[in-house]
Amino acid sequence: MRVHGLREELEHQGISRRDFLAFCASMAAVLGLPASAGPAIAAAVENEQKPILIWLEFQDCAGNTESLLRAGHPTVADLILDSISLSYHETLMAAAGSQAEQALTQAVRDNAGKYIALIEGSIPSDADGAYCMIGGKSALQIAREICGGAAATIAVGTCASFGGIPAARPNPTGALSVADAVPGVKNLINMSACPANAENITALIVYYLTLKRWPPLDQYRRPLFAYGKSIHDNCERRAHFDAGQYVDAWGDEAHRHGHCLYKMGCKGPATSQNCPVVRWNEGTNWPIGCGHPCIGCAEPNFWDTMTPFYQRLPNVAGFDVGSWVDPVGLGLTGLVAAAAVAHGVGEIVRHRIGSKASSEDGSEAE
Amino acid sequence: MSSMAIARSKNTDVERLYIWELPVRLTHWLNFFSIIVLSATGYYIGHPFISVAGLARDHFVMGTVRVIHMYAAIVFTLSVLVRIYWMFVGNDYARLTQLIPFRRERFRSFWKTAMFYSFMRREAEENAGHDALAGSGYAMIFGVYLLLIATGLALYTVDVSPSSPFQVFNFLIPLFEGLQMARLIHHICMWIVLIFAVIHIYFVLLASVAERTATFDSIVSGYKFLSRRKVGIS
Ligand code: HEM
Ligand code: SF4
Repeated sequence: MRVHGLREELEHQGISRRDFLAFCASMAAVLGLPASAGPAIAAAVENEQKPILIWLEFQDCAGNTESLLRAGHPTVADLILDSISLSYHETLMAAAGSQAEQALTQAVRDNAGKYIALIEGSIPSDADGAYCMIGGKSALQIAREICGGAAATIAVGTCASFGGIPAARPNPTGALSVADAVPGVKNLINMSACPANAENITALIVYYLTLKRWPPLDQYRRPLFAYGKSIHDNCERRAHFDAGQYVDAWGDEAHRHGHCLYKMGCKGPATSQNCPVVRWNEGTNWPIGCGHPCIGCAEPNFWDTMTPFYQRLPNVAGFDVGSWVDPVGLGLTGLVAAAAVAHGVGEIVRHRIGSKASSEDGSEAE
Repeated sequence: MSSMAIARSKNTDVERLYIWELPVRLTHWLNFFSIIVLSATGYYIGHPFISVAGLARDHFVMGTVRVIHMYAAIVFTLSVLVRIYWMFVGNDYARLTQLIPFRRERFRSFWKTAMFYSFMRREAEENAGHDALAGSGYAMIFGVYLLLIATGLALYTVDVSPSSPFQVFNFLIPLFEGLQMARLIHHICMWIVLIFAVIHIYFVLLASVAERTATFDSIVSGYKFLSRRKVGIS
């Protein structure tokens, strides 16, 4: 099999040079580089051999695959990722059954140590991995094999990055993130979010092709270009937050004016991602843009700590602590103040009785 | 109160003792004022009850409140750190041994004080510094202060740029199971501090009035009036 250059492949797919340059400029923007970096990216990417990507899906909803495919017209990004570079993707490829298994074995054998593994979904570890088996092998086995031989592993989505929804309490399948399921995995990069933004995944691959290294990461191994700032910091409603203009109920005056969704439980202040900048569906819009608070899907433990979605503070182990903590705190403070007054009365009574008793013995009251 | 105490100092058994050194008194009042400011601003951050009309660019209510919270947090954090440092270098009354009943007589004093306050003992334990019961309360509250500071700093790391030196504190976020849990703990700790404050103020007033030791004045002046016999000094 001859390996084509990316440029050649794109031409073959009917992508004009102008489209390609526009794509490179947009990648520069996502990566936080000046527009002048576009041509440099183009030069690096077009002469590069296409990257070999192997996409595995485990315990998940296929939302990241959906996000990658999107409904709109195919973009350069889609083409680079799915039609050109993906050597194996269960959902997208035509092959099935043992044919598919063979394709995987072959892709891994031919490109040992060179391919990039993209993992979607969490990896169940309980019951010896019986919760997710493909071709007689458990997800745990497959992940260890494939990630073990990869040049780098990209965990796509919150499930693969942090365990996500399957790992939420009580985690019935013992779901693990890639980092936990494959100890010592090389060059792991977490692209969390539910789903991960295809724009960011593409930018990550382009970064690698251009600079031959992986970008700087945060403490959860997420690229800083996409996860360096909180939603809250780049939010278009931030001016309303700072001013003190909040939505109090769905559809109220403030909601119709596009005010801040903080009081409706917005998790933008606790969530790091570039949604406000790159948005979704080819930059059409994003949740807060259309009036819905951020649900914090890109963060570890998001299902356990970002819920209830429409409340500012979380519940703990099913108890509605979040909505009670402040009223109960206020009540207890009042109660303690009342108890102090009552105790004070007790002290006065004690003092009276004490002085009466001691004056009866004739000694000095003390 | 103080005139009463001074009058009593003529009594031969009563001694005027220097208990609270300047750093203890100073940090006490810095904590006092910063906690008031932090609680008021923190409550607003949690429940923004003021909503303004008009254009966003004409107002900066939450912005101002948050800035005040952050400045007060700096004062509070430094004050707590100085006070903790003083637990190791200050006089006997400022030390950690006063806070946690390590020694047997402190432990006994803890129970005696508890029984006095629950009306099961007649005579108050008189201590030059803290009584052992109060000391344990203070040890607990310093733990809560540190938790407030730690959760506050964890929340602050998302406010600053990814290259800010404050990012050294981002290791705290996973320890609290994420920012939302840190926020919840921050709220719970605020209420613990406020409840503590009510109890604290009440007992200090009680000690000043009922035991006539000038406890209330002592945190301003540093001096207490104590019975030599009861405190056990010659
Ligand atoms: C007695 C001390 C303190 C009290 C009572 C207090 C109280 C509060 C409360 C109630 C909130 C609202 C939380 C929310 O719903 O988002 C808050 C937020 C916050 N506090 Fe404090 N706090 C204290 C000390 C500190 C300290 C020492 C720091 C920093 C070192 C700090 C930093 C913060 C930050 C960064 C926020 C988040 C603001 C936001 O949501 O954007 N606080 N505080
Ligand atoms: S809508 Fe959410 S992210 Fe945007 S400013 Fe308000 S709280 Fe922050």
